[in-house]
Amino acid sequence: MTFLPEAHEALEEFMRQAVADKTSLHIVGTGTKEKLGDMVTADASLSLAHLSGIVDYQPEELIMVAKPGTRLDEITVALAEKKQMLAFEPANLSFLYGAEHAGSVGGIIAANLSGPRRISAGAARDYLLGFTAVSGRGTSFTSGSRVMKNVTGYDLSKLICGSMGTLAVMSELTLKVLPRPETSTTLSVKCAALAPAQKALSAAFKSATEPSGGAITRASSGALSLGDEPAAAHVRLEGVAQSVADRTSTLCDVLAEFGRVSVLEQDASEALWQDIRDIRILDEAAEQVWKLSVTPSHVSEVITAITAQTVIRFFCDWAGGLIILSGAGEGLHQIVRSAVEAHGGGHASLLRAPDTMRGAIASFHPQPTALAGLHDRIRQSFDPLHLLNPGKMGSVSRDA
Amino acid sequence: MLMPAPDKTTLSRRDDICAALKAMLPAGCVIDDDATMRAYDADGLSAYRQMPLVVVLPETTQQVADVLRWCRDNDVKVVPRGAGTSLSGGALPLADGVLLGLGKFNQITDIDFENRCVVTQPGVTNLGITHAVQDEGFYYAPDPSSQIACSIGGNIAENSGGVHCLKYGLTTNNVLGIEMVTMDGDILRLGGKHLDAGNLDVLGVMTGSEGLLGVVTEVTVRILRKPATQRAILVGFDTAQEAGQAVSNVIAAGIIPAGMEMMDNPAINAAEDFVQAGYPRDAAALLIVELDGPEVEVDYLLDRVGEVMQRSGSSSLRVSQSEIERNQFWAGRKSAFPAVGRISPDYLCMDGTIPRKALPEMLTRMSAMSQKFGLRVANVFHAGDGNLHPLILFDANVEGELQRAEEFGAEILRNCVDLGGVLTGEHGVGVEKRDLMGEMFTEEDMKQQQRVKCAFDPGHLLNPGKVFPLLHRCAELGRLHVHHGALPHPELPRF
Ligand SMILES: Cc1cc2nc3c(=O)[nH]c(=O)nc-3n(C[C@H](O)[C@H](O)[C@H](O)COP(=O)(O)OP(=O)(O)OC[C@H]3O[C@@H](n4cnc5c(N)ncnc54)[C@H](O)[C@@H]3O)c2cc1C
Repeated sequence: MTFLPEAHEALEEFMRQAVADKTSLHIVGTGTKEKLGDMVTADASLSLAHLSGIVDYQPEELIMVAKPGTRLDEITVALAEKKQMLAFEPANLSFLYGAEHAGSVGGIIAANLSGPRRISAGAARDYLLGFTAVSGRGTSFTSGSRVMKNVTGYDLSKLICGSMGTLAVMSELTLKVLPRPETSTTLSVKCAALAPAQKALSAAFKSATEPSGGAITRASSGALSLGDEPAAAHVRLEGVAQSVADRTSTLCDVLAEFGRVSVLEQDASEALWQDIRDIRILDEAAEQVWKLSVTPSHVSEVITAITAQTVIRFFCDWAGGLIILSGAGEGLHQIVRSAVEAHGGGHASLLRAPDTMRGAIASFHPQPTALAGLHDRIRQSFDPLHLLNPGKMGSVSRDA
Repeated sequence: MLMPAPDKTTLSRRDDICAALKAMLPAGCVIDDDATMRAYDADGLSAYRQMPLVVVLPETTQQVADVLRWCRDNDVKVVPRGAGTSLSGGALPLADGVLLGLGKFNQITDIDFENRCVVTQPGVTNLGITHAVQDEGFYYAPDPSSQIACSIGGNIAENSGGVHCLKYGLTTNNVLGIEMVTMDGDILRLGGKHLDAGNLDVLGVMTGSEGLLGVVTEVTVRILRKPATQRAILVGFDTAQEAGQAVSNVIAAGIIPAGMEMMDNPAINAAEDFVQAGYPRDAAALLIVELDGPEVEVDYLLDRVGEVMQRSGSSSLRVSQSEIERNQFWAGRKSAFPAVGRISPDYLCMDGTIPRKALPEMLTRMSAMSQKFGLRVANVFHAGDGNLHPLILFDANVEGELQRAEEFGAEILRNCVDLGGVLTGEHGVGVEKRDLMGEMFTEEDMKQQQRVKCAFDPGHLLNPGKVFPLLHRCAELGRLHVHHGALPHPELPRF
């Protein structure tokens, strides 16, 4: 059975009991990203779907306080009414996971999932100002605050963000929100291969045109194949109309040396970045989908190292620093991870795979021993009995 | 301020400890004579002074690791230090602790324009990074007023901010990676030229950890292209309340300026006496709003901000017409601290943050407190993000004034928390605000933070006595309190 608390108090009570009984818990928000991360085996389930709602929204303070189960759609709509947004552009991975909606705000934060604006505006982790949670000790605690600028005590928001429910169960989150850009445009340039496309992005990001997105797809914008196929570099400019127009013309000049430049206006631009954000341009039937965070200038080396050994489809975001790829085979994880490690470093996480494979492959990039030990100790400091999503981010050495 | 009692055994072993450290490090890396050590007896919070046990200035990461491991094995405390500009006493030495200075880590190791980042040793100054990349039109965005002196390692430890972090974020939003050494002597690399952690964000919790979790030995920061244009507006108001409201109105209009600063009348006049910046002396409050970006954008936003200001009741408004004039506008703000230093023998700089909308209320309360304590106060605010820097004027030579100033400061911070804000926006807790942590956090909140500390440094050897008012032993913090059988809600599902 699944426990569905509707208030913090009920959650805390439930958690206290679970700790007393040493009941391990599979924790989900609204369940749209259950297949992200390693397989969890637990005694019971906890869903935050009913711990939901916007608690406080103050547009002029740039903050929103919400309960974890609040659906992202609801938040986006409320923000849009005041011409604001979550600047990290949370991804809607429903396409990837076959879900019906984008999921809950707690889930997005727990998975630290950021979209194309990650490169200019920062990640989900940069927008969590504070939170209240119940730890794996069954006790409630608060960290951070509701103001923009705060260095009081350790910044536990950073730890909770991306911890996939393995440290504590959030019951309330305070997010920093920002004004939505008035308008956006995308400049696309066709290149002969991946390497020049990455160079084009680099030139754009080195210019004074303040791009807010930089992606590489195949010119046709369909699923991208590999190697020497032509590639297209896309650069997004956002802001007030006069400024975007001015920067568009500057950027046209910058990009002209790399190939023919075309301009996508507002609607087409938004549609393209939504597809990139939501990983919709990858082939639907792919066995495995991987997310690689790499040094942007090393992207084509990483891809070459992988394609020398296996067939993949891919596209890039974050000015070349993010590779989303699909492929198949039991050895793919080794190929992908060794390519990243050999070419500038970074990490590769598994976004999707059949359950049989998820049991065998670590979803999150393995850490060096000393760092893995520190991760274990940090987890234990929140959840000494390993009750929260056990195994979700790899196995922790269980205490007897 | 009560520091943990020095450990007598450690003090008595001083000669052996110095000898062991000298054997471990190259000549000139261990300082144990009083005259030279004196230079390290305080940081920017100079009301507190303490001679360290010994000072070490290692040159390599491996040496840092050797020192830390040896200290752990021998139960000796360590206090990391960058440039010593902390305003909260974070780098205050301990009588029984080794002061580990990063001053020799002063090289920039990699400037990478392709990936728009710089890899540097932690002892390099904040401004040193910008200097290294400015010829190519780049800069490092976080700009603490101390940027000519403070080290980037210290910035990481304090998660420092500056005038421009309203638009560009604090240190934490601009750091891509670090190399660090734990108290166990393990060398860890977190992040790098790629984005995000891919697992737990240890880099995120290291940033702002005030030297309690590890020693930072290398830093990778992102650099930004300098905006094409920067212009500032100087706006006077007849009441501080109107100025506070104007700040909220700008944000509500959907504009995030590069910086939005506020000064009250005493601060305006102190600055004007000092640098003649051309501030309106009769204004109750002054806003400096800076906009940056392409020229067309800056022009457009200047108009819009101007409209908002007028609507908010401004009494004077000037837009900078040249780079010289823009710098002049800033000159007064940037010299506010020394300017106040001229009108008072001593001052205490506070650093709370409040919700923007509470600015008017806070100013009202501040005047009342100033009367109550019989001490003058001059206010400079990073108004855009609600970060206050009240400067409390006092004379340390007058019996009891320091204590009164500290009580005034504590009351300001309590009011910040009361208005929904926090104890510190950028200067850190250190020893200065340590005993006020309970105003903002419950016992359990602090225990959870200290448990994280235990994951890094179970012996509490790294910078103890800072940040937390009580040192709980890690074993005690680790205990689970479970009361079997006593179930307040027997109707809840059992498994
Ligand atoms: C005039 C003046 C103006 C200031 N203005 C601002 C401002 O605008 N904004 C702002 O945020 N701050 C400001 N400060 C405060 C101060 O400059 C910052 O906190 C700065 O980041 C401290 O850097 P530092 O190198 O001097 O560190 P230190 O003072 O040496 O140390 C600060 C803390 O960091 C730790 N530490 C230092 N180096 C390391 C390392 N490598 N690894 C681990 N821990 C380390 C120390 O243990 C200590 O706890 C100002 C200070 C002064 C004196």
